[in-house]
Amino acid sequence: MKYFLVLLLAGILPAVNSFAQELYVNTEPASNMAAHSLGIRVENQGYFKPDFRSRSTLEMMYGASKNLMVHGSLYTSDLYTNNYHFEGGSVYAKYRFLSIDSVQRHFRGAAFVKAAVINNPLVNQEISLEGDNSGIQTGVVFTQLLHKLALSGSMSYIKSVNNTANNIPTGFAHDAIAGSVSAGYLLLPKNYTSYKQVNVNLYVELLGKANPGYGQSYVDAAPAIQFIFNSNTRLDFSYRTPLMDNMQRNTKNMYLVRLEYNLFNLF
Amino acid sequence: MKTIKIFIFLLAVTIGAAKAQFTKAEVQVSGLTCSMCSNATEKSLRKLDFISDIKADLNRNLFTITFKKDAAVNLDQISQKVKAAGFSVSTLKATFDFNNIKVSNDYHFNYNGNIYHFLNVGDKTLNGPVAVTVLDKNFVSAATYKKYAAQTEMGCYKSGLMGSSRVYHLTI
Repeated sequence: MKYFLVLLLAGILPAVNSFAQELYVNTEPASNMAAHSLGIRVENQGYFKPDFRSRSTLEMMYGASKNLMVHGSLYTSDLYTNNYHFEGGSVYAKYRFLSIDSVQRHFRGAAFVKAAVINNPLVNQEISLEGDNSGIQTGVVFTQLLHKLALSGSMSYIKSVNNTANNIPTGFAHDAIAGSVSAGYLLLPKNYTSYKQVNVNLYVELLGKANPGYGQSYVDAAPAIQFIFNSNTRLDFSYRTPLMDNMQRNTKNMYLVRLEYNLFNLF
Repeated sequence: MKTIKIFIFLLAVTIGAAKAQFTKAEVQVSGLTCSMCSNATEKSLRKLDFISDIKADLNRNLFTITFKKDAAVNLDQISQKVKAAGFSVSTLKATFDFNNIKVSNDYHFNYNGNIYHFLNVGDKTLNGPVAVTVLDKNFVSAATYKKYAAQTEMGCYKSGLMGSSRVYHLTI
């Protein structure tokens, strides 16, 4: 697996005949979606060991203005129970405060905030607002498009609060720091001729979290492949695996499948 | 007497340009990285009622916009729609159908309530379609705008206004 990642990275960094991509699968870029456009995502994430369990998410995204976009998500899973149940929801807003554009490079910065209300039992050390914990998260993300390579990095702080039906047990962390580094590039098409062409993008992302003062942390590598159909429909596949792991959590060795449909410029 | 002369000059300019109009524009957009971004940009531009057609060159991030005949073209709205999609205009070359007009440096003409000011042009007569490049803020990259703004003494370049009218700065 590690060899595969090294090969993938080695393939991405010197990619000279392609263009960079920043439609990251496991993180958000600093760029926003177009104003007055609506994105609908249906997503499934899960693991196969010790037994198959998964979470399904419905996410709606809206470009409120050229600088502000908002997301709303609903979660359902059997990660904590034997049957699928409704877990709760989250809202997310991202404000782009910096854009330095030129024809084949740009640098963008955005600040984001997320809040989640979840009913699950609290058994994991990881604080995650993607269906596991109630809480609030805030951070910044910067994305640099460097001709052929799109690099993005984020840093955020997460504060957990009691879940609606369950309290945080004694001895569990209430605060976490999360960070990510993402790289992506356009594999196909080599030459654009129409909006109908299928785009294929490859990504490698590093996802990390730490609970300060508790000695709990992890860094995952998450390679991903993405197909874009008709310039409005996205299909993402990703698998994350730990490079370093010292935290009890669901997200270890998790797959992700996502379908996204965009309605541009609704009104 | 001076007032009358100015009035006659403005009248002449306005009449000279009266039949003339913008027919199309080539817009280069910066920041685009995929066909989904181009698609969002094109859909945003298509909301403008004076646009009849758009052809996109996805490799060069270039949109060729054809304007409706006799429609009032507003260049600022083009730049705003590109921004709304999350990107920015790096060059805009508009084709204007001139009607036998003698131009020289600092020549002004009036079209659809806006003033157009020629920079860096020699004396010549323009007749028929001529591509003019817009030099103003939001029509060139931020770095280019900064460079031009530092070179010029003209307040109207920085403000984009001449009196209360919008003034665009063009070159050929």
